[in-house]
Parts: sequence; structure tokens; C-alpha cells
Amino acid sequence: MGIATASQVEPDPIRGEPLVQGGHDFASVTDAVCGVIEAKRPPLIWFISIAISSIMTLVLFAMIVYLFWTGIGVWGVNVPVGWGFAIVNFVFWVGIGHAGTLISAILFLFRQQWRTAINRFAEAMTIFAVICALVFPGIHVGRVWFAWWMFPIPYQQGVWPQFRSPLLWDVFAVGTYFMVSSIFWYMGMIPDLATIRDRATGTTRRFVYGLLSLGWRGSNRQWHRYERAYLLLAALATPLVLSVHSVVSFDFAVSQVPGWHTTILPPYFVAGAIFSGFAMVVFLAVPARQLYGLKSIITMRHIESMNKIMLATGSMVGYAYAIEFFMAWYSGNIYEQFTFQNRAFGEYWWAYWTMASCNVIVPQIYWFKKARRSLVVTMIVAFLINVGMWFERFVIVVTSLSRDFLPSSWGFYWPTWVDILTFAGTFGLFFTLFLLFLRFLPMVAMAELKNVMPAAHPVHHLSGEKEGH
Amino acid sequence: MSSIADSRQERDYWRTLDELANTPECREIMKREFPEGADSPPQDFSRRRFLQLMGASIAMTGLSGCKWPKETIVPYANRPEGMVPGVPEEFASTFELGGVANGILVKSYDGRPVKIEGNPLHPASLGATGLFAQASLLDLYDPDRSRSLVRRTAGQEVLPDWDEFRSFIRTRTADLWEEGGEGLAILTEASSSPSLADMRSRFTRTYPNAGWYEYEPLSGDNARDGARIAYGTPHRVIPDYDKADVVAAIDDDFLGSGPTALKNARDFFGRRDPDNGEMNRLFVVENGITGTGSVADHRTPLRQSDIWQFTLALAAALRTNGIAIPEGIRPDGGHYPQDLVKALAADLAHHKGRSIVTTGPRQPAALHALVHLINNALGNNGKTIRLVQDVDRDRESHGDSISALATDMGAGRVSTLVILGGNPAYDAPADLDFKAKLEKVGETIHLSLHRNETSRICSWHLPRAHYLESWGDARSWDGTWSTAQPLIAPLYGGKSAIEVLALVIGEEPADGHSIVRRTLADSFGNSLDFEKKWRKAIHDGVVGGSEFPSIQADLITPAVVAAVSRKVVDSHDGLDLVFCADSTVYDGRYANNGWLQETPDHLTKLTWDNAALIAPATAEELGVTTEDLVKLKHQGKEIELPVYVMPGQPKGSIGVWLGYGRTAAGHVGDGVGSNTYTLRTSDHLWVAAADISKMGGRYKLATTQSHYLIDDIGRKGRADRLSSLVREATLAEYEHDPRHAVHKQHIPPLTQLFKELSYDGHAWGMSIDLAKCNGCNACVVACQSENNISVVGKDEVRRGREMAWLRIDRYFSGDANEPEVLNQPVTCQQCENAPCEQVCPVGATQHSTEGLNDMTYNRCIGTRYCSNNCPYKVRRFNFFNNQKHLSETEKMVYNPDVTPRARGVMEKCTFCVQRIQAVKIVKKNNKQAIQDGDITSACAQACPSRAIEFGDLTDKGSRVAKSHANVRSYYMLEELNVRPRNAFLARIKNPNSALGTESTNGHSHS
Repeated sequence: MGIATASQVEPDPIRGEPLVQGGHDFASVTDAVCGVIEAKRPPLIWFISIAISSIMTLVLFAMIVYLFWTGIGVWGVNVPVGWGFAIVNFVFWVGIGHAGTLISAILFLFRQQWRTAINRFAEAMTIFAVICALVFPGIHVGRVWFAWWMFPIPYQQGVWPQFRSPLLWDVFAVGTYFMVSSIFWYMGMIPDLATIRDRATGTTRRFVYGLLSLGWRGSNRQWHRYERAYLLLAALATPLVLSVHSVVSFDFAVSQVPGWHTTILPPYFVAGAIFSGFAMVVFLAVPARQLYGLKSIITMRHIESMNKIMLATGSMVGYAYAIEFFMAWYSGNIYEQFTFQNRAFGEYWWAYWTMASCNVIVPQIYWFKKARRSLVVTMIVAFLINVGMWFERFVIVVTSLSRDFLPSSWGFYWPTWVDILTFAGTFGLFFTLFLLFLRFLPMVAMAELKNVMPAAHPVHHLSGEKEGH
Repeated sequence: MSSIADSRQERDYWRTLDELANTPECREIMKREFPEGADSPPQDFSRRRFLQLMGASIAMTGLSGCKWPKETIVPYANRPEGMVPGVPEEFASTFELGGVANGILVKSYDGRPVKIEGNPLHPASLGATGLFAQASLLDLYDPDRSRSLVRRTAGQEVLPDWDEFRSFIRTRTADLWEEGGEGLAILTEASSSPSLADMRSRFTRTYPNAGWYEYEPLSGDNARDGARIAYGTPHRVIPDYDKADVVAAIDDDFLGSGPTALKNARDFFGRRDPDNGEMNRLFVVENGITGTGSVADHRTPLRQSDIWQFTLALAAALRTNGIAIPEGIRPDGGHYPQDLVKALAADLAHHKGRSIVTTGPRQPAALHALVHLINNALGNNGKTIRLVQDVDRDRESHGDSISALATDMGAGRVSTLVILGGNPAYDAPADLDFKAKLEKVGETIHLSLHRNETSRICSWHLPRAHYLESWGDARSWDGTWSTAQPLIAPLYGGKSAIEVLALVIGEEPADGHSIVRRTLADSFGNSLDFEKKWRKAIHDGVVGGSEFPSIQADLITPAVVAAVSRKVVDSHDGLDLVFCADSTVYDGRYANNGWLQETPDHLTKLTWDNAALIAPATAEELGVTTEDLVKLKHQGKEIELPVYVMPGQPKGSIGVWLGYGRTAAGHVGDGVGSNTYTLRTSDHLWVAAADISKMGGRYKLATTQSHYLIDDIGRKGRADRLSSLVREATLAEYEHDPRHAVHKQHIPPLTQLFKELSYDGHAWGMSIDLAKCNGCNACVVACQSENNISVVGKDEVRRGREMAWLRIDRYFSGDANEPEVLNQPVTCQQCENAPCEQVCPVGATQHSTEGLNDMTYNRCIGTRYCSNNCPYKVRRFNFFNNQKHLSETEKMVYNPDVTPRARGVMEKCTFCVQRIQAVKIVKKNNKQAIQDGDITSACAQACPSRAIEFGDLTDKGSRVAKSHANVRSYYMLEELNVRPRNAFLARIKNPNSALGTESTNGHSHS
């Protein structure tokens, strides 16, 4: 593609690294990003990846069909552990779907301009993660054919959902989040889609991208409206970042199961979600930038910034783990105390210690700049954080339920092959969607990126990042 | 473990309907236009195949009415008085197990029995039932029941009809008749049926030289032999526990098993209420652990030889307390707590004439004789215990009888053997080699509900009519004449034992109705108003005043002393191998009964298997733990069993349950567990010396509650909360402060944000008195039967998916080798602030206007959130379609008032809301008020000890309201502010102060 590799420019300690490196101008940015979509055929690795991921997606669908055909019993859930992999995976994927909106909305409002290179990417990941998450609440109910009763639909029975149930709040929270994120993502993409349309050579291509770009002409008036709307949507999406995982945590916090019934859960869940979300963004961004030669657009500075956020949120999560133990001790409640002892030293001790070491100990390596800027370390840490965060949900959901109030009813949960393949299948779905995104949609927000380039601000061409636009 | 594969019937595949129609069986069926077997193709048919052939005829059988007063095949032209279609009727009948009758009431919907209750008019039932009677209903509808006669000749099997059998037996007996029946023998199960006795005398008159044998694998004949030593004749003992202040049970589970268990429980537990007269005190020594042991004030596990020495020591100690025990009786070694002997002897001596010493079927005859002597010396005879005659005082003991038969068979003295019921090929003592001998007998005829192990090697198999399909009678332990009437026409054309015997004798009438009627008529003499008496007997299920009179018998002291002075129980270096009746499948006859297989044994909580129960100390010595496989060896025979570490099992003693490892029980029971009969020999029917060795492997057991050995954190957590979950106090503590037990947990004042609920109509509530529960499981099976609860199988139980709405939680506290056992039945607590209701997203579980926590199955989408949030974990989820594999007959057992639950739906205890509604409708129509006692839940109705009360809490005079107001009442997990509708009454124990009054439950660690 003829893009110069990122030269390791020693950054100016006062101004920070430039956000776009490699001497890009507007045209070369467009070429770089659109080139990925316009290439005759994607790299071989793309074909291999999508072959694997779509097979896994088929496995997911097969597992779902088997589940619908046979019953929830094909999973490992039982009494007392009524929720198992399905809910663990749901919370895990929703958590991953946090980074996108955080990057696009909150960082936008805070004028964190480094976000522009990764926001499209992160938002796409968010949406695909939420899609994976939404698979589970739908299929985990015993009678899927009546799952629509969760929605407040006026129909002949005249029965409404039960609004005291956190599960219902969940439906609304995750539903809203999914809708707003999708709109936000799509709206942000319109100018870029128009660019692709304008560069398109084939008629089909022109027609499809023309349809998607909703008649964007790039007029001043359109830009003005667009930027207002984007700002408003960002403001609207910002509370959602906090609310969605808070509400997901209500599923647990509002119940009275020891280990679930704690007020710390909402902030703890949000911090954990951002933590895992960023880990996933990094985990996807590093190979993508290598593969598509976008190293000068998604720079080490971006990766380092995200690693810093992981260090911060990882420590918050660690604090939450500690404070939970303190509260259990301080409460004097024997059930609460038992639950936390049991988490750490009971039958599921391995899950707890996997969680604690991956989430709390591993990110501490980011106190070192060398580690923050090492791609190998970044990949390993991001992977471990995702493992740890999955185990965090497992610990919360399964160990709390497995031993609650009455010792007579304590049980043990172990997953079945269907559980495991379903979980693996959601990764297939996630990566399939993501690979399609990489192939057909602009993975970097070109219009926004150009905004933060020095060329967009001829007067201040040396301080490209100080002002917005 | 024995394999299932080798026992499975060969599977037939067919490709076209023509091919199917061409099979010999089918041609055979078609040949006979409407034979008795129209609805009964051979048992070799798979269920599916049977349905293919006979789907329609099943429906017809289902519709046929009962035999009383006559069969009807058309709709009623004139409706019988009181009969309303769709409204159930109750009929009295009799359930006989091990030769002892129990009165039952059978609830029947339009000619289809759906529930069994106790008969309040019957002295052995008093309105209560045991779990076997409850579950016997399912056997009626068992699709594996045999559906036709089977004739085996030269390896060929044909399916004759009853006429062919009639002509066969006629020619066969004609030859035998010449010789006076020489070579003919009858083997029956234990039975107290007067009609059977009458048929027997007719048989003996016809064939004076024929043999008559009786065998029951779980026989109480040691007691009989003991009484024969003590009194010269085998008198029966009828204890009246309501009159006993002190009870010493020497290896006797008198509250849970045995011929008078239901009455014993009612009488005994009536005295466990500290506010209701003087509390009794129970001492138990036992070689194993039983429900009776679990409620004892003092329980000591002892090995067989130590029990013997203990009893001798007790007798000697009584002598020092001034009781007239002959000098010769004294212990000779043994390990047992001396202070216990001393305290017990003093207690008994102090309560002369107000105590009972009792011993169980595992103990030798001499010990029974000694117990007779002790009771006699204590002056209990005639006061707390009565003696009555035996039903058949001349018969041999079961062990001798089956040995004699085996000898005769082996010597070729039996040419025709008729086996009426039972399964000796499976359960006869192993050393008799019964199976091989049976195969050598010329003609063997076996009458049985199932084509079981014995049927398969007999030359004839006859399908037996279930007791709910046939006329019959039996006597209860006290002799009360109980009548049985059919509730439904035989589903598969079976005949009862008396009917088959009539065929063998070749006399008329040969139908059960006439035989039973004739027997009763004979006993009444020629009475003009016999018809009236007959109708009353059938209506009541009992013949009033027919119990045996009490006998004043003189104890033959020298005989007892002589019996005792022999070395009765040897001490040995090996381990005691103790054979126990299984608490759910009994002797194996209920192996194909899914309800019972899935009912957890009260103490182990084990389902679908038997295991070797070993004390924690012994397990440690052997280096084994729960689920390790061990090999047990006795007299050269060996079996493999998984270990279950059982707190309270005596050290050096291995408990094994009989009744498992069936190979021809049916689809449910085949291959479940291991057959321990293979170790049981005729000289060691109950306790043997065995070797144990550890095998390599492990075997997965399915328990409904975690077993004793769990991780340390779990064990500590369990112990920490025990004293608040199951509260108890000693009588001394109670007398000092009645709220002692209840105050073991301090609960801060509870307030709530939600509006307080109030009730101006009814408010249904329950109370469970923990002092009265011995974990007999009657309530559990009653609930299963009433509420159509599914059976899910071993794998699902292992997953933690059992469906029981009512479970009995069992905890251990104290020393693991001599633990205290705590029983706690748990139903849905019907919380006022129900946590389940608050979290259901679709409002499928709601509070009713009468305070019940209702479950709307139609609305449930199955999120399982309610179950997660239920602190009592009483909710049960249908993980699969549990109705899918039920045959048409199995569905007939369903209570039509209760919806079978679909896949993906949550279910739970409803407090039997269908019963509440049924009574409310009737009362409303009649403009009457509902009185206390009009409505009972199935569990409360079945409970022999009346531990469970059910009623209206707004009616301050109701028993349940009084229970809630009782000073002992508390709510489990009250601090959660869920406000349960079920109150538990704290257990009060009455330990002997001489044995140390360690406060109960205080520093427990289980």
C-alpha cells in the first residue's frame, strides 16, 4: 500500500507523540483506510480466520438448535446453581462491549483526541460483543418460545412483565445500550461510507455504499448537523456506559444470595467491564494494525494509553475484591463471611485464584513503560485479562450459588460439552462479524482522524492535538 | 457393578407393518379373538412395540370400571348414588407387606386409583401410611408388568392363555392327586390372608402329601423364635409406646420399619412434646444407623457381638437394681459404654411397668427371648406391651422353610412347584443354590407381577393381579381382619394368589370375590345379616372387633436362661457385614418403582444405588473414602460395592442394603446397584463376618445432599449455621427457659419497605415439629404421588436436578463416629415476602389472596432466577421434558387435579392447593364454613407421627395456629425477613442426667 512504517520518533515530552505518524496527509489516510476495503482480495490470513470463525459460528447455531430441541438440561445448570455458563458468558460479553462506547462517547466528551484512531474499531467490537451477549438471555430461558413475554408488549393476554425484576431492567438496559451504540456507530460512519462510495468503481458497490451513506454530500450544513448530532448522541451514550453494567450487576446485587447481595457491585462491574473491554480492543487492534499496515495510524501511543487504562481499572477491580472481603468480615453476617472464604478456599478455589492473579497481579506490569509499549507483553496481558474477567463472572455467578444458605442444598456445577461449545461458538460469531467488518467497513474513522491531523489546523500546525476542530 | 447389557431383553427390529403383523406373537394374538390377553402381549415386547400393537386396547382398559359391584362397559344409565364423574371417591382396601396388613384408603377418579392414604379406622394405620404403601400405586401402572402367561418348554417360549394353563394344571394335578400330591409343593410369600389360609387347608385336604413352604427374605422370624423360647409358642408383641416413659431399642428401628411402625410412631411421638405430659426417653444401641436412632436421646453404635454383651450387661445391671433377673445372666467381655448400661438400667428400674425394651429382626432369637424376660421382670407385660397369638403358630421359620424346600428340590422330591409371588431365584440365601435347583424341578409355575428372575427360569409364568386389582384380605399385626377390594379391573388379565390356588386345587368358585366372601362368611358363621356385615367390612376395610385378644402367658424362665447361656453371638476379628432392608426398595421387590428408587435414603441421601456403609474411623483405617470401590468377601463369595462413609455406623461394621443388582426387574430397576444377596447365607441371614479389601476404582454415587466428607471450609460453614437452622434444647433447658432453643439466634427487629400483607379470609400455614420427625420418607412419597412429581434418574440426581418438592434435610453434629442426627423436612416456606416473587420478570409466581406463593406454570418462561433467589432452595426446574418417555399406563397414575409440568418450567410445593380448592368448592356449595382439619396437605396426611400440621392461620383455634404460637416455634432463616408461612418447632431432647447433660447443638461440628 506504500505506507511508510512508523518511524520511532522520540516524542517531545511536553507535547506528546503526534497522533498520526509516518508523514500522512489527508489523501494518504484515505488511501490507507479505504485500501483495505478496496483491495481485490483480502490477505490469506483473513480467509483462514474467517473459515475457522464461521465454522465455530455454525457450531454455536448447532448448539442452540440442540438446546431448543432438548431443553436446558443439556447444560450443566442445576438446583442450586440455576445460572451457569450462559449468564457468565452474557456478563462477560456485555463487559467487553463496554470499551466501545466509553471510547466513542466519554473520551469524545473529554476531548481525548487519541481516541479517533481506535474508536470505530472499538465501537464495532462493542456491537459485536453485545450481539454475542444478547444470544444468551434469549436462549437461557426454559421456554424460549415465550421469551418475548419479557417485553412490555400489549397483546390479548393483557399481562405485563413484572417490573420489580432486575432481569427485566436488564432487558431494557442492554437493549437500549445496543440500540444507542449501533446508532452511534453507524452515524459516525456515514461520512466515511460516503468516501468509499465516492471511490467505488463497481455499480453494486456504489449502490450499497450509496444506500448506507444516506445521501451524504459533505456540505457545511451536513457537517454542522452531523457534529451536533454526534455530540448529542455522545452525551446520551455516556450515562449508558455506566448504566448498562450497573443494571447487569443489579441481577445479582438486588437478589439476596450471599456474594451477590452487595452494594459495591455496580461500580465494581463497570470498572471490570471497562477493564475487559480495553483488553479486548487491544487484543484485536494489535494484530489488525500489523496485518493491514496501519501502524502509523494506530500508534504505540494509543496502545500505551489503553494499557494505562487497564492498569487503572485493574487496580479498581482489585480494590473491589479486597473490599468485598473486608465488608464480609465487617458485616458480621456468617453467610456473607462463608461465601467469601468459600470463594477463595472452597471447591472453586482455582477459579478465584485464576481471577485474582489475571486481573489484579498481571496488569501491575504496566507500571513499567517498557511493558506498556511492548506488543508481546500487551498481547499476553490482554489475553490474560480476558481470561481473568471471564473467571470473575464465573466466580460471582457459580460459587455464590453453589453454596448459599442451607448446607443441605449445596451443590456443585460443572459444565457440559454443550456449555463449552456454545461459549466457543460465540467467539466464532464475534470474530466472524469482526472479520466481515474489517473487510467491508472502514475500520478507522477517517473523517475524525483527519480532524486531529496537523493539516486540519494550518495555524497551529505544530500543536495538532491541543484543539479539536 | 453388574452390567445392564446382559439383562436387557433382545431387541427386535421390524421394517414394515406386514413383517410386524407376521410375527408369531401377533398371529397368536389375532388368533384369539378377544382373549384375556388382548391387552396383554408378552412381556418380551418393548414398550414401544406394545403400544404399536395395542394402543387402542389400553385406552379401553383404562376406561373399564372396577369389579364392584359389577363390571360396566356402557355409560351409566342410572348414575350410582353419590357418584359424580370427575369427583374422586375413596375406597378402603388393604396393603400387605411381609405378611402384615395395613389399612388404606384409595382415592379413585372415575375408576382409576390415583392416591393411597391411610385408613383412620384401621388400628395399624390410624390414617397414616408408610412410603411403600404410597408407592405401591405406581407398581399398578408399571409398564414392565407382565402382560401374559409364558410357557417355557425346551428353550421355546409360547404365550398361552389362562384356559391353556387351566387344562395344563388339570392334567398335571390329576397325576399328582393319585399320590396325594406327592411331589407337589407350594412356595408362598409371607401372608396373613385368612382366605389364603383357608385355601391352604383346602389344598392340604386335596393333596395331603404336598409340601407348603413360606419364604420372606426380610423376615421377622427371629422375634418369633425368641417368643417361642420365652413362651413356648410364638406369641406376637404389641407395644403401646404411648404408655412407655422409657424405651430401650436394641437394634430395632421400631419407628421406621417393622409390623407396627405406623402405630409405634404415632404413640411414641405423642410423648415427645414437652407440653403434653411427661416426655419419654429413648435409648438406642444399634448395628447400623436408623431413623429411630436419629431421634434417640442416647444412641450408641455397637457391633453385633457387643450388642449381645450389652444386653446381657443390661440384664445384670437390672438385677443389681432389684429387678428379678436370674443369676445366670451376665456379660462375658464386649465393648460397650458401662455408664450407659448403668444409667439405662436405673432408668428402666425406676419406670417399672412404664417402659419398653425392644429388639429387632437382626438380633438372634435368644436375644429376643432375653428381652421378653427383661420386659417381664420389669412388669411391662400387660401394661406397655401386650401379647397376642401368631397368625400361624405352627409354621416353620422362613429361613428353615426355604432350606427345607431347597433340600427337597435337590433330592428330587419336588416335581411340581407352584411359587405364589416372591422372587426366590434372586433373594433366597446364596448357599442354597436355589436357582440351579429350581431349574431341575420338572414343572415350575411362578405367579408374579413382573416376569422377574424367578419367572425367567420357571416353566410357567403367570401374571399376577396387583392388589389394587384383586379381592383379598389380610390380618394386621394385632390380628385385625382387613379386607381388600379391587379398584380397577386387572390391567393385564392377572390373577391373585388365591385364584391361582383355586385353579391348582381345581375347585369352584375360583374368583377372588367369592373366595374372600366365603372365608369371611365362614368366620361369621351362618349369620342372617351377613350381607350387611360383608358390605360394612368392605366399606370400612376392617372387620370390627376381629383383633386377637391379649394373652396372659407365663414366661418359661429356665428356657430363656438356657438359651442365653449358649454362646449365641461370637465375637470375631473380621468386620460385621450387616444386611439391611433397603429403606426404599425394601427387599428388591420395589426395584422397578421409580418413585422409590429416587427417594433418597433418609440417612445417606443416596438414590439409585446401594453402597457399603462404613464408619469414618473404619474408613480411615482402611484408607478408603466415599465412592471408592471395595470388595466384600464372605464364605468365598465376593461382590464389589462403592463405599459410603456413614457417620454413626459402628466401627468395624459394614452396612449393606439388600434389594439391588436386579437383572429382571424392568427398565427402571435392572442393573441398579449390586446384588448383596449373593453374600447372604442361610446361617448368616442378617450379620456375617466379612473381609473387605480396597479395589482400584471409583464409582459415582448420586446423593441429594452432600455427604459427610466435604472440604474443611464447607464443613465449618455447615457447622456454624446448624444451631440456627435446626434448633433444639434439652428438656432441662426447656424447663428452665422454654425459649432456650428458639433464642439460640438473636434476630434484630425486622421492618420492611413493602406494604404489610393482611388477610381477612384464609391464610394457609404449616408447622413441622422437629421433635417428631424420624425421616421415614412417607411425606416425600405422598407428595410425589399427590403432585405428579417426575422421576429423573440417577444421572440427573447427580447433576442436582431431583424434583422432590418436599425433602428431608439431614445433618450430623458432634463426634462423627457417634453423631447426633438432625432431621428437618423442608417444603416451600410460602414466604410472605417471597424473594422468588420479586425477581420473576414475567410475574409467573405471585402471592395469592390466601397467602400462598402460587406458581403459574403457563406463565413461567424458565429464567430460574426465582430458584437462585430462594434461600430454602425448594424450587425445582424441568430441565427436560420429563413426561416424554412415560407410557400410557404410567400417565394413569397422575392426579388429574394437578397439571404435569412442561419442559422449561419451574415448579415447587403448593401446599396442595388443589386440595384446598376442592374443599373450598364443596363448602361453598353447601354454605358451610371450613373447619380445622377439613383440609390437609398430602404430607401432613401421610405423616405417621403427626409432625406436620396444616391449616388456616387466621383461625386462632386451629392446630397450625396453635403450633405457630407455640413457645418452641421458630422460622428458618427468619433474619432474611422473608416471613415464612411454615414454622418449625424446636426439637426437645430428654437425655438422662446421669449420662452428662451436654447442651444440644451448642458446639456442633459436622
